[in-house]
Amino acid sequence: MRIAITGIGMVSAIGMNSAETLQSLLNEQSGIGSMRVLGSVHRELPVGEVPLTDAELKAKAGIDAHEPVPRTSLLGILAAREALAMANTTCDAFISGTTVGGMDLTEQHWAEYEQGQASENIRLHEAGESTNVIARHLAPFTFHLSPFTFTATPSTACSSALNAIMLGANLLRTGQAKAALVGGAESLSKFHLNGFNTLMILDHAPCRPFDADRNGLNLGEGAGFLVLEPEEEALQRGAPVLAYIGGYANTCDAFHQTASSESGEGAYLAMSKALEMAGLQPADIDYINAHGTATPNNDLSESAALLRLFGDKLPAVSSTKAFTGHTTSASGGLEAAICVLAMQHAFVPANLHWHHSAEGLITPVTHTQKRTLTHVLCNAFGFGGNESSLVLSAHGIDLSESPLAPLPEPRLNDQIVNEQMVNAAEARRMTPQTRRLVAAVRQLMVSTGVTHPDAIICATQWGCMLQSMRFLQDMLASDEQQLKPTPFIQSTHNTIASLIAILTGNHGYNATYSQGKQSLECALKDVQTQMSLGLIRSALVLEFDEQVDAWDKVLSLIGDSTQDIATARMYRINE
Amino acid sequence: MEQLIEQLKAQIIEALSFEDMTPADIDTDAPLFGEGLGLDSIDALELIMLLDREYGIKLADPKAGKAIFASVRTMAEYISTHRTK
Repeated sequence: MRIAITGIGMVSAIGMNSAETLQSLLNEQSGIGSMRVLGSVHRELPVGEVPLTDAELKAKAGIDAHEPVPRTSLLGILAAREALAMANTTCDAFISGTTVGGMDLTEQHWAEYEQGQASENIRLHEAGESTNVIARHLAPFTFHLSPFTFTATPSTACSSALNAIMLGANLLRTGQAKAALVGGAESLSKFHLNGFNTLMILDHAPCRPFDADRNGLNLGEGAGFLVLEPEEEALQRGAPVLAYIGGYANTCDAFHQTASSESGEGAYLAMSKALEMAGLQPADIDYINAHGTATPNNDLSESAALLRLFGDKLPAVSSTKAFTGHTTSASGGLEAAICVLAMQHAFVPANLHWHHSAEGLITPVTHTQKRTLTHVLCNAFGFGGNESSLVLSAHGIDLSESPLAPLPEPRLNDQIVNEQMVNAAEARRMTPQTRRLVAAVRQLMVSTGVTHPDAIICATQWGCMLQSMRFLQDMLASDEQQLKPTPFIQSTHNTIASLIAILTGNHGYNATYSQGKQSLECALKDVQTQMSLGLIRSALVLEFDEQVDAWDKVLSLIGDSTQDIATARMYRINE
Repeated sequence: MEQLIEQLKAQIIEALSFEDMTPADIDTDAPLFGEGLGLDSIDALELIMLLDREYGIKLADPKAGKAIFASVRTMAEYISTHRTK
């Protein structure tokens, strides 16, 4: 099957749609500047903000001013509508990555929750619910019913949106969807601005990806979506094909929760495997849209991986984050959409603000170059070493198809968990529930003999709530001062799946889904789909949630509660 | 200085969640990173925050921490000359 891209949609600091984004890119006009919308005390930090307030975004989207909608969803609605309108079709699958979800509303309304005021905003904290809100606002009429039969929210931090694109492509290849709307959305929040600040990786000036003197990233916000459909369908209905999905891969660096390995092992594997799926050689790639966050660590690690794979024949490389800021979970969708624009209009986007080269760093393209682009590579790397690469091509690339095969029976960790399987040094930074899950996984690996499954996939409704609540409450109580980095580092939904990969040295596929009570269903759909396609033969599926008093108090206002869940299942195709 | 060293050890244990340790378990002159306590880059960030919170010392460059955090003694010496509270 050849997978065609028939629609793109994007919103970021450099444009509210594709046309505006294209103009900014061609004019080399960055969107990074002073904070105007986000109400953080850290005004000294430049950001790539979408220059409209929530009220203005609602007005633009035709949404009632009183309807509670996370900013992530508002950005997502605008970008998704553009993609659907361009494709002029309907999709049955919707996969949108996010990590922030409705955190913006939670931090704005926390004081009200503490005073016992119930609110519709509470439910919207959940990453999956912010995706459901986008879905409801994409209904062709005003019924506010999701038009999709399958909705999923990958939450693997900054690689979330590329992982959404991969799942969408896999659903098409197994005949589970006719057309898929895929990408990601993420708004700025005080929570992750402060979090990145504790890691001391935010530049106080506009960011300079791959520059010798780079000094960190600028956070941005936005959304980017693609409409994927089989080429045959697109041709039949006479829809113009903008580009094709060439190949893709996700791997785990399995090195550290927030830093990349010096050799960029995970990044190298992701790019190599994506090229392999596309049947391409490194020399076939005309342009690489790098992850290029401008942190000292990312750019050095990514350069090592690029130089290892491409040698002295490195194609044109740029990071567009000096335009948009780092849009975190949205970045893979936004940057894939930017790649499609670059292919359509035959140019290489500039890597702004680059001045000096240094040993070990690649030299990017510093000004817009007119060039025909046949094959393009797009990278997105996330916390936990979650590394994703996507190949986009100007002509169709045949990807294997397969009917959906039944999921094998899982082996569960049905014994009483022996917590001694996690030693004190390892457990130092783990929450009690994390410790239980790690012990359960170790027992399961012993009982099944599968120590290196091809995939590690976690399902979680609320994510790593204990550390999230710690960081949020500290941030609000201290007026965003003197915060501890550890709770933030462990607050992302994909902390658990990454931790298991790091502890077991697993460079395989690594994903996390946060889709309310359907999270496990999404994880199993991913396993079944990839097993059917022969992409994986074994998978460790984790279910994780933790009971947290602070959040329970809030949830009790809407009659809900959290609970402790830590189960591990091993799926394996028998030889 | 000895009093500062003892206080600092207790603060390190607390900040880095070494639940089963006491100040007596930390060798004042042993390396904090690599060997010794075996701290990593996340711990380095926690120690930078500890300097700010407890002693009013702001390090703008995380790389500056390397020499300061060589051992509890080097840390205490740095604190005693740079503290603002």
